[in-house]
Order: sequence, then C-alpha cells, then structure tokens
Amino acid sequence: MKFRYAMVCSSNQNRSMEAHSLLKKQGFDVSSYGTGAHVKLPGPSLREPNVYEFGTPYKHMFDDLRRKDPELYKRNGILPMLKRNLSVKLAPQRWQDNAADGCFDIVFTFEEKVFDMVLEDLHNRDQVLLKSVLVINLEVKDNHEEAAIGARIALDLCEQIEAVESWEDSIDDIMVSFENKHRRKLLYSISFY
Amino acid sequence: MVGIMNPVSREKLASLSSSVKFAIDLGSKLELCRQLKHDLLEEDAADLSEFLPRIFDLYSDPSGPVRKFATEIIGEIGVKHLEFVPEIAPFLITVLEDATPAVARQSIACSIDLFRHTLEKTAIRGLYSSELDSDLESSWSWMLKLKEKIYSIAFQPGSGGIRLVALKFVEAVILLYTPNPNGSPEPPPNEGTSIEFNITWLRGGHPLLNVGDLSIEASQRLVLLLDQLRFPAVKSLTTSVIVVIINSLSAIAKKRPAYYGRILPVLLSLDPPSFVIKGVHVYGAHHALKNALLSCLKCTHPSAAPWRERILGALKEMKAGGLADLALNQVHKINGSVEEEKDDSLLIKEEKPLTKAYDAAGSNVGRKRSGTEDSSDLAEKDEVSGKRVKATPSVSEESTKELNRNITVSQGDISSTQSSTRKVDVDTGPVQQLVGMFGALVAQGEKAVGSLGILISNISADLLAEVVMANMCNLPPTHPHADTDDELLEDMCIVGSDTQAKYPPSFLADVISLSSTFPPIASMLNSQQSVPCKIVIQKTEGKEEVDVVADPNSALAYAGTTHEDENALLATDLPVSSNIVLPGMKIDLPTPSDIHDTGNLESGIPGLDSSFHNDGLSDTQAASSLVSTDIEDASQEQATSFGGKSPLHVLPSISLDRSEELSPKAAVTDSSSLVSSTVTSVVSSCPFVLPKMSAPVVNLSEDQKDDVQKLAFVRIVEAYKQIAVAGGSQVRSSLLAYLGVELPSELELQKVLREHILSDYINHEGHELTLRVLYRLFGKAEDESDFLSCTTAASAYETFLLAVAETLRDSFPPSDKSLSKLLGEAPRLPKSVLNLLGCLCSPGISEKAEESQSGDRVTQGLSTVWSLILLRPPIRDVCLKFALQSAVHHLEEVRMKAIRLVANKLYPLQSIAQQIEEFAREMLLSVVNVDATERTSAEGLISESHKQGRGEDSDLEKSSNEHQSMSSISKDISADVRQSETSHSGSSPSVPEAQRCMSLYFALCTKAIHRHIPILVRTMGLSSDLLEIISDPPSGSENLLMQVLQTLTEGTVPSAELIFTIKKLFDSKLKDVEILVPVLPFLPGHEHFTQDDIYEKVAGIICLEKQILVDALLGFMLGTLFPITFCLVLLLFPHLVNLPLDKLQAALTRLLQGSAHSGPVLTPAEVLIAIHGIDPERDGIPLKKVTDACNACFEQRHIFTQQIWKYPKLWVGFLKCALLTKPQSFSVLLQLPPPQLENALNRTAALKAPLVAHASQQNIRNSLPRSVLAVLGLAPDTQSSSQAQTSQAHTGDTSNSEKDAAVTEKSKESSSAG
Repeated sequence: MKFRYAMVCSSNQNRSMEAHSLLKKQGFDVSSYGTGAHVKLPGPSLREPNVYEFGTPYKHMFDDLRRKDPELYKRNGILPMLKRNLSVKLAPQRWQDNAADGCFDIVFTFEEKVFDMVLEDLHNRDQVLLKSVLVINLEVKDNHEEAAIGARIALDLCEQIEAVESWEDSIDDIMVSFENKHRRKLLYSISFY
Repeated sequence: MVGIMNPVSREKLASLSSSVKFAIDLGSKLELCRQLKHDLLEEDAADLSEFLPRIFDLYSDPSGPVRKFATEIIGEIGVKHLEFVPEIAPFLITVLEDATPAVARQSIACSIDLFRHTLEKTAIRGLYSSELDSDLESSWSWMLKLKEKIYSIAFQPGSGGIRLVALKFVEAVILLYTPNPNGSPEPPPNEGTSIEFNITWLRGGHPLLNVGDLSIEASQRLVLLLDQLRFPAVKSLTTSVIVVIINSLSAIAKKRPAYYGRILPVLLSLDPPSFVIKGVHVYGAHHALKNALLSCLKCTHPSAAPWRERILGALKEMKAGGLADLALNQVHKINGSVEEEKDDSLLIKEEKPLTKAYDAAGSNVGRKRSGTEDSSDLAEKDEVSGKRVKATPSVSEESTKELNRNITVSQGDISSTQSSTRKVDVDTGPVQQLVGMFGALVAQGEKAVGSLGILISNISADLLAEVVMANMCNLPPTHPHADTDDELLEDMCIVGSDTQAKYPPSFLADVISLSSTFPPIASMLNSQQSVPCKIVIQKTEGKEEVDVVADPNSALAYAGTTHEDENALLATDLPVSSNIVLPGMKIDLPTPSDIHDTGNLESGIPGLDSSFHNDGLSDTQAASSLVSTDIEDASQEQATSFGGKSPLHVLPSISLDRSEELSPKAAVTDSSSLVSSTVTSVVSSCPFVLPKMSAPVVNLSEDQKDDVQKLAFVRIVEAYKQIAVAGGSQVRSSLLAYLGVELPSELELQKVLREHILSDYINHEGHELTLRVLYRLFGKAEDESDFLSCTTAASAYETFLLAVAETLRDSFPPSDKSLSKLLGEAPRLPKSVLNLLGCLCSPGISEKAEESQSGDRVTQGLSTVWSLILLRPPIRDVCLKFALQSAVHHLEEVRMKAIRLVANKLYPLQSIAQQIEEFAREMLLSVVNVDATERTSAEGLISESHKQGRGEDSDLEKSSNEHQSMSSISKDISADVRQSETSHSGSSPSVPEAQRCMSLYFALCTKAIHRHIPILVRTMGLSSDLLEIISDPPSGSENLLMQVLQTLTEGTVPSAELIFTIKKLFDSKLKDVEILVPVLPFLPGHEHFTQDDIYEKVAGIICLEKQILVDALLGFMLGTLFPITFCLVLLLFPHLVNLPLDKLQAALTRLLQGSAHSGPVLTPAEVLIAIHGIDPERDGIPLKKVTDACNACFEQRHIFTQQIWKYPKLWVGFLKCALLTKPQSFSVLLQLPPPQLENALNRTAALKAPLVAHASQQNIRNSLPRSVLAVLGLAPDTQSSSQAQTSQAHTGDTSNSEKDAAVTEKSKESSSAG
C-alpha cells in the first residue's frame, strides 16, 4: 500500500471506526480520528449522552455502558460497536492532536462539518513540508447501517486511489468515475503538510 | 567543522549505500534508505561532501520510491548544510523532470525548505555584515534558478499533479517575500536566535536583497495566480488546481491582508457554476471557494472590512449564510469592543439573522448587537459606507431604547434555545411566518375571527401542530387541574373567541373570580416555582413617538408627567405582573426599586432598560423576572397593589392563551409601529400610568419547562373525549405525535402516549396514533446526521413499536388484524419486532414464547407473514424464513398450517418459489442422509452468502438499510433451522421426525405435478404411450388421470381412440363415472350409449361431489356439441340451483349465451321450466335457493323479459315460476307490457291479488306507468279491455310474428325430443 489513510468523523466511534476496521482488514495503512471536543455516545435520552474524553479506551466505555444499562446499549448497537472498536485500536483519537502521527496522504471525512474542521486544522498548521494531502468528504449518515455502507464505499474509493501512481494527476478522473458509479456526491480538497 | 570521518562510520555508510543499490526488493531498499538517512544526517559537512556523490548516485535507481527517498535525503542534507546548495540545487532541478510524479513533487517539497533556509540565512547574514561570502551568494543564485524552474511548472498548463505542489511553492514564496504584519517587525538581536523570518527586517537595507524588488516580484506572481482564476483561463484548469489556487489565495489574503483587496474581487467574481469539469464535478471547487470566503470573512484587518458585505452576499448566494453568521459571530467574540463598534455599522444589514444567536448566547456582544438591529433603517438611508462608520455610535445609542421591544419579543422564541442541549426548532421558516400571520390577525380584533377560521382550516394538521409548538415556547408554566378539565376547555373557548383587542375590567374580575373558584390550582403548584401570570391590557398610546425618542434617563420623569395627564395612556402593551405567592414560598415580591437598582447595576449602561430586561429573562430565577424593571416608580404601586393585596391566581389555561396571542401580536405592533388610540375604561381603574413595557415573556427554568410541557401533553392526551366531540382529532394526533417525539425524552411522553393508545387501541385511534409516532421517530432516525439523535430516535422507535406490538399480540384475540396491519404499515420493522413475529409463527423457538400458545396464534402469525411477504418486499426473505421454519415445526398443527401457506400461497409466487423448493429439498435430504445434509447446508450457506453479497452490492446505491439489517437476520434463521436439523438427523431419524422434514417437500411435489402436468400433456399430445397408461392407470392415480383427461379434451374434440380408451376403462376397471365427464359431450350416444345409459350415468354424476359436478357442468357449457344437453341440464338443474349464487349466475350466463361453437345451450324459457321442475322437497333443495335462482334469471332481464311471453309453452312455465317465487317475481311481472301482464293475471288468478296489493304501495305505484296501473285496476282506463284483447290475441299467436324465434323454438323441441 502506497498511501497512508486517515478516517475522520466527529467522535471516532461509528463511521470512522467502521471504515478503519474495514480498511485495516484489507491491509491498508490506516488510522482514524474524531474532530469533536469530546466523544459523545447516546445515552438513555438526548439530554443525557455519555461523554468521554478522547483517549478513553473503548474497553472502558464498553464496561461503563454495560454496567449502566446492558439492554439499552445492546439494543441500540452501542455495545457491539464498542466491541468492534476495541478490536481495532485502543482508544478514540482526536484529529487536532495528531501532529505526532505523521503525514497522511489521504484523509476521509464522513460529514461536511468534519471535512471543514480537518481542512481548517490543516491550514492552521505550519505548511512547511509541502507534502500534499487529499481530503475527501463522503457524506454518511451517522447510524450503524449507513456507516457500514459508507465504509465499503470508502474502501472502494481507496482501492481506486491506490491503483493509480499519483492521485495528484488523476484525482479528478477518479472522482468523476466514482460519482458515476455510486451516485454519491463527493467533496474533496487538497491541503499540504 | 572539519573532521575526519570515522572509518567505521564511513565504511558503514558505504556498505549501506551499496546495499541500497543492490537490494532486491523494494521494501528492504527503503528500509536501508531510512537507515542511511538517519546515519547521514548525523555526519558533519566535510564528511558529507565526500559522500554526497554516492547519494546522488542512489537517484539512478530504477525504482521511484528509492529515487524519492534519495531526493528527500539530499534535500535534508541541503537544509542542514546550506553550503551544498550549489551542488544540490542543480540536482533538484534535474529531479523536477523525473518521470515519476511523486519524485518530482519531492523535489519541490525539498526546494521550498531549501529556499526558505537559504533566504533566511542570506538575509540575516546580510543584516549583520555588509558583505556576503561568495558561497552564500552562489547558493542564493542557484536557489533563484530553482525557483524560476518551479514557477514555470506552476504556471504551465497541463503539467499535471506536480503543478499542485508548484503552486503551493509560489504561495510560499509570495509569503516569504512580503511583510508579515503579525510577525516580529525587528530581526532577532543576534544571528542565533530563531524567530519566524519576516522580510520586513530587510527594510533597513541589504547587500543582496531588496525588499522593494522582492515585493514587486511577489506581487507579479500573485497577479499570475489570480489570472489563473479569471475567465477563460479557469476553464482549462482541473478541479484540483482550482482548489489549490483558491486555498492558496485565501491563505495569502489571510496572512497578508495588504493583498486582500486584490484577491477578493477575483474570488468574488469566480462563478461557481462555471466549475464544471467534464460535466460532473463542481463541488470541490465550490466548497473550496466557500471555505476561502469564510476564512476571508474572519479576517479582522481593516482592509478586509469593506469587503464583508460582498462576501456575505456571495456566501448567501452559495447558501452558506448560516456559516457566515457563525464566522462573524466568532470574529466578534474575538474582537475587542472598540473595533467592534466600528464594524457594527458595516454589519448592520447582516445583523438580523445573528440576533438570535447572540441573544441565545446571552453575551454582552449579543445585547449590543441587537441594539443595532433597527438602526438598519438609518443605515440604509446612509449610502456611503464610510459615513456609516462615523454614524454608528450615535445611532446605536439612540436606537437602543427604541429597540427594547424587539429584543424582548424575540426573546420569547430564543429563550427556549438557551439550554443548548435541548433541541427545539427555532426556524424562521413558514411556521414562524404563520405565527406572525396569526398574530397579525389576532391583533385586528374580532373582525378577523372569520379570517382566522379560514386560515386555520386551510393549514394542514401537521403544520398547525408545528405552529402551536412554535408558539408554545411562550407558555408560562401552567398546571391544569384534572377535575376541571371540561370547564377549563369551555373557558378556553370563551377566551379564544374573545379577541384580545381590549380586556375590560370585568375580565379581570372574571379572572380573579375564576381563580377563586378553583383554589386547588394554587395548591397544586409546585412550591418551588413562582408562576408569573400576565394579564395584558391593551392600552392606548398617545405620545408613543415621544417615548421612542425620549432620553431613556428621563423615563421616570416621563412617567411622572403622564401620571398627571389622566387621559393619555401612553403604553402600548401593558403587562401587569402578578404573582402567585405559594404557600411555603419564601421569596418576597421584590420591590421594583430593588430591581431597578439591580438592573442598572447589571447592565451598566444607564437607560438601557432592555439590557436588564434581557438579563431578567435569561435568568432562570423566575422571581427576578416577575417584575420587569420597565415598571418604574410610577408602576410601583400598581405592581404592589396587585402583588400585595391579593395574590392573583390566574387560571393557567387563560394565561396560556393570553401569552399565545400576545407575543405575535406584540411583534406585529412593534414592527409596524402601529399606534392604536382607544381609551378604555381600564384607565379609571388604574389611576397610575404605566410606562411602556415590553412583551410579557417569561423565561422558564428547565424544570418548569419540563413540567409545562408534560402537563400540556397529558392534557392533550386526556382531551380525546372533548376533541372527539368538537372535531380536530387530526390536529390532536399530529400534535401528540410531534410533541411525543420532539419534546425531551426524559419526560417519557412516549410512554404516556403509549399507555393511552394501548388502554383502548380501537377507540383511541391507536393505529393512527402509533403510525404517526412511528413515522415521526423514523423520520428523525433517518434525517438526523447526528449519531446521538439518530441512535436515540431509532431506539425509541423500536421500543414504541415493540411495546405496541406485544400488547396487540397479548391483549387482542388471534383473529384481530390490528397487529398485521401495524406491521404492514410501520415504516420499518426492527429485528426485535421480527423476532416477535417469528415466535408467533413457531411457538417454542425461544424460551420466552409460551409453549401453550394456541394454534390460532400461529395462524395469526402466519397470515401476518403472508401479508408482509406481499406488502414488504425488502423483508420478504425474513418472512419466508419464518414460514419455512414453521413448515418444519415439530408440532404437526403448526406444521400443517404453515405448509398450507407455503404450498398454496407462497409457492405460486415466482420470486420465492425457488427458495422454497431449495429449502424443501434440503429438508428432505436431511432425512435421507446426514452427510448430504451437512454438505448441502454448507453449499446452501455458501450460495446464500453469495447471494447476500450480491444483494448488498446492488443495494449499496439504494442504501436500503432495511434490507441490510434483514439479510443478516435471514441468515441467522436459516442457520438456526439447519442447526436444529443437523442435530436431529444426527441420530437415526424417527418417523415423526422424518415426517416433520418431508411433509413440505411432498406438499410441494403435489403442487408441482399438478401445475406441470397440463403443460406436459399438452406438449406431448396423445401419444400411444400415454394412451397405454390411461388404459391401465396405476392405482391411486385417479386425480392425476382426471387432470390428464381434462387437459386432453380441453377445447378440442377428443379423438375416437381416446374416447374408446376411456369408455373401455370405465367399463372394465374404473367404475367411476367421473372419468366420463370430460368426454361426455363427445360420447356418440347412439353407438355406445343408449339414452337410458346416459341418464343413468348422469344420475351418477349428480351423486358426485359438488366440485366435480361443477366441472362437468362447465364442460357442457363450454359449448361442446352434446346432443343430450337439455335433458342432462334438466337433471342437473337442481344441483345447479344449489350452487352458490355467484356460480349460479355464471352458469346461467353460460347456459343462456352459450359459446362460439354452439349458441345457447338453453333458452331462457327452458331455464325457467327447469327451475319450475324443481321440487324442493324431492330434490332436497331449499326453497330459498329456488327463489334465488329465479331472481338470478330475472336479473338477466334483457333475455327474459323480452322473449318469454313470445313462446306460449314457456309462458306457462314463466307464470308458474312467477307464482312460485312471489313476491320477488312481482317486480318482473310489473315490467311486462300491459297486455302480457293482463294475460298473466287472467291465467294465474292467484297472482292478481298479491300483485295488486304490491303495486298499491305508494312508492311502487308512483313508478308504474298508467297503462300498467290500469291493468291492475288501480287506475280507471277505458281502453283497458280492448288492450287486453289485443294482447291476448298476440300472446296466443305464435306463428304470425317472430318466425325465426318460432323456428328456434321448434328446433329446440326437436332436439330435446331427440
């Protein structure tokens, strides 16, 4: 695999982790992040979400929620999701704090807001390396089913990008063919490290 | 500096570099490179100079990644040891041409680093010494060459991906060449210190670099960049290049505001729709532009200011207005207040959408900001933007007072959003417009009642519900009393119809008396709450204008003045704050003066009453908001008198209505500045003049809101009886569904609603309400992009549906269709609900299911499954699995039910027949062979997963999540079934076990054979083999034989061979007359059968089962040339009559109309005679059936009524029938022409009296023609006798007219005789 990939959503739980998990299985060099201030998981009601700091191990959240209401969190898919996540990596990571993780070639976001935050963050960094990074937004609804679909689409796109020698030369073609194939709107931007 | 390279190290490096060269695979090469790089960077310059050529040599490697790595190493060496630049720069220039883009890009990436360092070093060296060493000069000149080379790539069209980095390089150089306003203006005191380089340092002069020249160059390059984006150059760019240029330009504009004015016009003139690259992709560039503009908007530099309006306009066009507001908001939070003041003027137009956000934030900025809202009028007049800057301070000061009202009015809506975790719509869309419309209409008073009614009736229930919701934010906490609900409702109506133009004192009295009527209300109130209730008295305003412009500080004096002027009441809206003092509540009513002080203290701006008011409102302490500071000294006594004398217990429902009406109304009056001038009698009762006040909106604490919301909800729930009477249950349902979903889930409103629904599912419109709630929740789960909301909504959806489904299952009889209907119409069926259905179909599959479940429940489950299979294709597979699972159930009862469903209903569906067959076969094989089972099930799984895979692929685009989740379930189930299968068949299968697994298969076989035999036989035709089989059929194959025979004789004349064979079979082996039926029409009677034979055989047929009889009859009626039809039909007729009415009708039609082959089998008369021949007692046919048959005949009027009387023989039969079937036959008799009628009556005297009686009924009599009445003797008619004669003659004469008919008749007779 030529490129380093990052999957980014807001809480680094559902969409980015679904994609991370899938790409990892396919042998991609992939990381995942969230851009939110905290990791928020659904609680018994909208007003009472479960809020964790980035860096809190998925295992910890899993145990916490299983203790709180195993029935609820199993039914709404949170426990299975956390279980999947803890098999992928230790804890959710925040995009804005990932400078030490090195440069990525391709960054996938799954929500326009996140896309903008990633771009803004990249623009605010010192762009001294002049190493280009492709940031792609694939709009994916934040639920389990859509995340699974989104991850497969992301994988498909990654495979197409992997297949070309340099995405800088062919990204427009890749995007056009992708949009024709999947009938999904993509947004992309190019930034630099 | 100079040292001798450590021999070991040298050796190591040498070996490393050579191993890189000779390493075979790429991975190890790169690993070696990494090591080499690490080691090299440790070395000092002298050693490196020796080693550098070897590294250059690495670049000759054929593999791109190695060349890239080599370039990177060389670049880093260069940065670290700038003295190598003269060697490295030419190298990098060469690399720019590399065939591998990634390597060429690496060259540029190295170049910028090298360029920056060289520039810095050159610059700083020059600052501290007047002369530069030649090495450095040479390095610099090489860097300039390198730079030019990269420039050429950047601006050369079609240079591909490398251009992106080259453009970024241009940006970097522009930034390096231009002064950074935020950077350090002075160079570091000594050379060693590292601070970010700023070209400004060179202002003082530099031996080599000239700031001016550099700046000019930067400017030129910028122009080149900008030109790229101008039309038509932009057309030839790829999206990625456009994106990079836009990003670069916005970065330059942000970092070098001096260029703002040059960059912005180009960005703004960029036309997003023109970004069509190959007709498809515009989003990237469009989005980049949007982000660029947004980031430019955030620029706080003065040179950015003049552009803001245009940027905002452009962003709004790009539908990013909201984001723009946010961006501005951020800017203002960051900015100091001084600057903000200046900026305000420029933002005046754009402020409006911001007001809410600011208010919600409750920040100081917000309060000031809202102050400028109305000043836009002033600003608009002022065309020159430069002037606005100056005008602002005074404008905002003056207008603040005037704006107080607006602020507080909007506060009502906003207050609900103040707790940001709560999600309440604050949209300004159609709902708010409607609220405004309602407000405007209400403000018009009673004359608008009609218009209001029309408006309400034209709004859909859902929208109306949203309007009510939107307005509910203004509700004060109310506590309805359960016992008084009905009365309250009435009161509400009264209040509602009473438009609030004015409330005479009597109204106040009413309110007070009402409150005393319901003392329990006060005690019901939560003791922690103080409940502000407002009665607003519409007052007049005479000197409103004065008030508006008056110096706020003079408010007190002003109030005093007006106090003297008793006639002039100056307040527009006069809220009187009243207070319910609750038992145990310790907060005393704060004296207004206190509040006034607090107000001034808090706002800090004298005269800015509104500021305090804002604070008061946003404050969660209800007490402090009870009395507004706007009530100044003059109102003090008023307030105290209300609050002090008798705490006013206002009926909650009334105050609720009040505020609903008020806030929009207030908004309207404010915006239009309408001044009403009615002086009401209230004046006398209120001797004190109250100064103008803002709308009575009270902010509630979270708990209070919760209580209000829950109470309101419960009240709507409970009001079903009243609403059922009064109408509007649609609105109620919409409201309940909306509220149940939108209000915070902690209130457990859905539970309340569910309990209400389930307490009486049918009468409480359970189905309707449930579906509404489900659709709301489903919509929320689908629409929300936010994980929290959509997961929560999905979870709530499942809970709701499951609870209702379980209750329907448990509390309704199995025959009830509610559950099936619910599952058929619910937007989505989650796994748990499907499991419930599965358990219903297959009792005992889960421990939870009751073992003692009755068979009816299974039927219920299976019929639900059947309807779901038809109605919901996406979950067809799962439902099919349920049915199949039941079809191999261990209980025979369950199994048989399921098999009937599968074989009779599901198997005929082509789309699933294959799956059913596969399953049945698998089950069969599982009995035959355990190994086979395992193999096939493994195969099955594979093929299934295949199918699933394909299904998922094709579904990708459709994103049918229902299917997604379902397919996994179906797999589960089939796996379950198979598992239980394997475990069972592991031991040698018992007979019942074998039966369990095989019965489905055989049921299908039967179906399949019956389905395929006709095709087979038709294809084969009558071969000698087939004839042989027919002549000697295996025992037990009678049904099959019948089917074969029917197929062979269908629509064609059977061959003599076949007839002979059948006859032989009948005579020899099969004494069953049934097999003769298909060939009966073709039996050559004279040769093989005597008439008696046939009668005998037909008599046999009649004894057959009804189904066969019908088949036989239909065979005759299909128009086969059967010589004995008539006799046969006569014999059969009693049985025909005994058929269900619809079949009889069909049979009659066939008999009477015949077919293309034959013409009519029977004439109408014959039919009637046949009916007449039926003896109810002998034939065992109920009289009712005979009557029905007659009626059926009479319904074929066009045939019967016209022809019957033309045939004398039939006429008799007809009349007998008419007598037999009276009174049903009366209507037919009365339709006869008068002569025939008279004849009939004469012949059958017994008919006359009842018929006359029948016709005498007024309604019938009126419908009869005069001539008929005359015949009946009901109307005097002189001509009746002569007519009767004529008719008699006519009826008697058959041969005169209608010769054809007579011929037919004769032929019939002859045929019947033959």
